[in-house]
Amino acid sequence: MTLSIDSIRDCLEGAIPAMVATCAADGTPNVSFVSQVHYVDDAHVALSFQFFNKTRENVLANPRAAVAVIDPRSAAHYRLALEYLRTETEGPLFERMKAKLAGIASHSGMSGVFRLRGSDVYRVLGIERVPGREMPAPPRRNLLAALRSCSERLARCADLGRLIDELLACLDEVFGIGHSMVLVPDGAGARLYTVASRGYPASGVGSEIPLGCGVIGVAARERTPIRISHMTSDYAYGQAVRERAAAEGLGDMLEIMIPLPGLAEARSQLALPVAAGERLLGVLYVESAEEMRFGYDDEDALVALATQTGMVARLLQDAAEAHDEAPAAVARAAPPDGTPVPVRHYAADGSVFIGDDYLIKGVAGAIFCKLLRDYGREGRTEFSNRELRLDPSIRLPDVSDNLEARLILLSRRLAERCEFLRIEKTGRGRFRLVVARPVRLIEMAA
Amino acid sequence: MTAPPLLDESTAAFVQDAVSIGAASRGAGDLPVLARASGCRVAPDRRRVALYLARSQSAALIDAVRATRAVAAVFSLPSSHRSVQLKGVDAELGPPQAGDFESAGRYIEAFAAELEPLGFSGELARALLWLEAQDLVVLWFTPSAAFSQTPGPGAGAPLRPAP
Repeated sequence: MTLSIDSIRDCLEGAIPAMVATCAADGTPNVSFVSQVHYVDDAHVALSFQFFNKTRENVLANPRAAVAVIDPRSAAHYRLALEYLRTETEGPLFERMKAKLAGIASHSGMSGVFRLRGSDVYRVLGIERVPGREMPAPPRRNLLAALRSCSERLARCADLGRLIDELLACLDEVFGIGHSMVLVPDGAGARLYTVASRGYPASGVGSEIPLGCGVIGVAARERTPIRISHMTSDYAYGQAVRERAAAEGLGDMLEIMIPLPGLAEARSQLALPVAAGERLLGVLYVESAEEMRFGYDDEDALVALATQTGMVARLLQDAAEAHDEAPAAVARAAPPDGTPVPVRHYAADGSVFIGDDYLIKGVAGAIFCKLLRDYGREGRTEFSNRELRLDPSIRLPDVSDNLEARLILLSRRLAERCEFLRIEKTGRGRFRLVVARPVRLIEMAA
Repeated sequence: MTAPPLLDESTAAFVQDAVSIGAASRGAGDLPVLARASGCRVAPDRRRVALYLARSQSAALIDAVRATRAVAAVFSLPSSHRSVQLKGVDAELGPPQAGDFESAGRYIEAFAAELEPLGFSGELARALLWLEAQDLVVLWFTPSAAFSQTPGPGAGAPLRPAP
C-alpha cells in the first residue's frame, strides 16, 4: 500500500523532534534535528527554518533531504524523501507554523530561542514505513460522524443568531469542545467583536480584539486556521490588548471595558476564519486546558464546520435581503413615564454609554443611536434591516456588510447590560426596539 | 606526538548519555539517507565511535556507508536540547562485540527514563528503539569533525576538545 502524507499527520505535530539529513555540494552528509515538520497538503510538507545552518546551506545546493518522523502515540516510525522547493517568510503557511512553533518552544523551554525565520516547503517524493515495534493506539472519536451530525444541525438553522449559537452548541455537545466563541469584524475590519461565546462565566459579548492580535486576530488577518498545542505567552491576546490600549492612551481603554472571555491557562487553541466567498464573516475560536487537544483532523473537521457556517450565513442573508421591505408603517408607541436616562454617543469613536455604563461602539453603536434618534423624533419602534443599510449615519462599509451580525451583537449586549431597552426580531429583516424607560440621546461632539 | 582525540571526556560522555541519536550518509546519486541509532559506544582512547543500528531499519544507510564510508551522526539530549554532530569519512560496519547488545539495552532504558519527565511513556521509547540481538549491527567511525548543534547563536560552531 502506498502511504500518503495525510495518513501520518500525527507524526507532524512536533511532539517528537524529527531528524533531517542532507548532503553538501561535495557530498558530505549532514544530520540534525528539526522542531517542526508541518503538513501542507497531500504532496508537500514544510520544515521550520530557525537558524542559518548546514541543513539550509545544503538544500540550497542539493535540494534532496531525508526526514525521519515518529508517531507519538504508537511509536510508528517513517522516513520521508523530500525535495526542497522554496522558503516562505510571510503569509498563511508561515503564520500557521510560527504560531505552532511558539507552542513547541514554550513547551520545550525554548521560548526566545526558537524563532521562525521561514517555512521551507518541500515536495514529498516518497514515504517509507520503518519496520519496528508499535504500540496499539487508543481508539479515537470518529470526527466524520461528529461532523455529519453537526452539519445536519447547522443546515436547519433559520437565522444568524440561531446559527452561531447552534455552532457553539454542536462543538460542545458533539465534539466535546466546551470553550468556544465567535467574533465578527467591525466595519473597517480593523478589529473583531465577540458576538457569542459558550463555556465561560461571563459571555464577553462586545469585547474586542485588534486584527492581527493573538491566534484569533492572526487567523482573521491571514484568513487561515491558527492552531497552538501548548500554552504560550506569545499569543496571549489579553496581555497584548492591554499593552496596546495603554500605549495608545485612555481613548482606547474602551477596548478593555468588556473583558474577553477565555481560559486563563489555555494549553490548546484553534482559531478558524468563517468566510463567505472572499468576505470574512467572522472567526470561530475554540480552546482547551488540555495540551495537544486539537490535531490536524480536528482542524479539518472544524474548518468544514466553519465553511458550512459561512455558507448558511450567506444563504440566510440573501434570503433576508429578498424579504427586506420598505420601513414598516410608523407605529407610535406610548412613551413610558419617568425620568429620562441619558444615552451618550461619542462621535470620536462611536462609543455609546447608557447612564455611566459602556454599551458598545463601532457600527453597532451607530445603529443603536439611529434607532434612538428615530424613536425620539417619531416614536418609531419598528425597523427594517433595509433602512439601516441605506442610512448614511450608520456608514456601513458596503451593502454586503454583515448587518445581521451587528444587530445580534447590539441586541445581546443590551440583553446583558440594560434592563429597559431591548431588540426583538419581528420577522425576516425586521425588528422592534422595546423601550421600558424614557431615554434621552446626547450627541457628544468629537 | 599524536594529536589529542577530537572528543574530549565531556563530549565522549555526552554522546554515550541518554541522547537521541541519528546517523546519515550519502547514498547513490548524492541522496541523503538516515537511520535512528540505538546507542553509542566510544573506544577507550576516544578516537573511534560505534553506533548501534538495527539492520532491519537501516538497509539504505548500511548500503550507503559501504559505498561511500561517509557518515554524520547527531546526538541530542531531549531535556536540555544540547546537541552535537560528529562526522567521519572512514565509516565501516561490523558485528557486535561481547557486551554491545547489553550496552544497547542499558541505553534504551536510560533514554526511556530521560523521556518520561517530558511526558512520553517508557513503552514509547522502548517500542521506538526495539532491538533484537541478531538484528544489531555496529557502525564504527573516527570522528574527523565535531560541531555544537545546540539551538541558539552558537549552533554550527566546531567543537574543540577541552585541553
